Amino acid sequence: MTEQALELKPVPTRILTDKDNIVDVIEKYVKEDIGPQDVVSVAESVVAITQGRFVRPEEIQPSLLARVLCRFIAKEGSLASVYGMQTAMNAEGSWRITWALFVGFLGKLVGRSGLFYQLAGGQTALIDDVTGTMPPFDKCLVYGPADPNGVAEAIKQRLGCYGAVVADVNDLKRAAVLGATQGLVPKEIAQILINNPFGNASQKTPIVIIKNYGLAVQKTVAQ
Amino acid sequence: MELLIVLLIVVLGAVVGVWLYIAKQGDANFKFIVDQRTDFTLTGITKETATFSATVPFINNGSQDGTLMDVFPRHFLPCEQFDAVDTDTRLTFDRANRSDGYWEAYIVPVTTGGSIILTVKFTAKSGDIKVALKDMVDMPIDIVYQVVARSLWYIAKERLVMTADEIHKALAASEEAAAR
Repeated sequence: MTEQALELKPVPTRILTDKDNIVDVIEKYVKEDIGPQDVVSVAESVVAITQGRFVRPEEIQPSLLARVLCRFIAKEGSLASVYGMQTAMNAEGSWRITWALFVGFLGKLVGRSGLFYQLAGGQTALIDDVTGTMPPFDKCLVYGPADPNGVAEAIKQRLGCYGAVVADVNDLKRAAVLGATQGLVPKEIAQILINNPFGNASQKTPIVIIKNYGLAVQKTVAQ
Repeated sequence: MELLIVLLIVVLGAVVGVWLYIAKQGDANFKFIVDQRTDFTLTGITKETATFSATVPFINNGSQDGTLMDVFPRHFLPCEQFDAVDTDTRLTFDRANRSDGYWEAYIVPVTTGGSIILTVKFTAKSGDIKVALKDMVDMPIDIVYQVVARSLWYIAKERLVMTADEIHKALAASEEAAAR
């Protein structure tokens, strides 16, 4: 099942903040458009923002360890800034990050990359540094969402849709499903969202409806 | 005892090594090149208001990428010095071309830069901007910017002066153009 075979419907919203409840927002904007065979996908950074999981650099007190360790992250990474590194340490623990960095370094020496993010905890790869999200949150570091499975289940329960997912998708053809309702296959949904139907930040479409996904599943099973 | 000394030397060596690595790595370094700014030109005029704008280049001439998290102008025209106009200054990254005065945090790769468009709007308190600006004085404007990079965030500023002379020249140029 691919994106080409399904209709993806991005839904524009106003800018969401920590004053919003993501389930209420989805109900308000898309309730009329959602059928029992549809899957609702929502962008992870927006879920995190509605959960209040963001912080300004000015509110962070970086440790000496964070100041040193950020120097060993490639400049493109969110943890390359001292505030990104401290945010990761706050989320996953200083020693876990230090240990993961050390093992990751050793891994690179023997030609095995990616160990750091495997060992450093789930939040580490989800942290967006400043500039990572749209205004007014471009001046904040945004954590990954809390309890993405719970969020997905709450969306499904409220809207009566086939399923729901919380997804992390970008323009670099990277997509991951962080939370999904029972019965959905996260990898399959991630593949459907691979072309980033959420668009860029200025398009303000944090919700994408995968229309008639349930019917497509039934068809595939029947075949 | 010898083992302890060896251990101490190893730890000290590691600390020095990390320190040298960080020192060599360096950080972003931003500069708003105010002496390469363009002259202010008149971009809009009404009976009560006159709007001028100039372009100011900036560069990250450090050794790391850095983020301009915020950039804003601060003009200095106290009423004790000149009381004929109300002044509003704002700026935008030229590629963003926003009109809301909001600076969207922007990563500037090492050795690259860009330009800001600085806009100054004068509103005559008397209702006639040409009369109000007749005795205008030189007005300093600070470009204030907040940087986040490998080190702790900081705020810095560069000063330029919008001269009365260039205001008058810009007004005169627009009048000449209108006359043609």
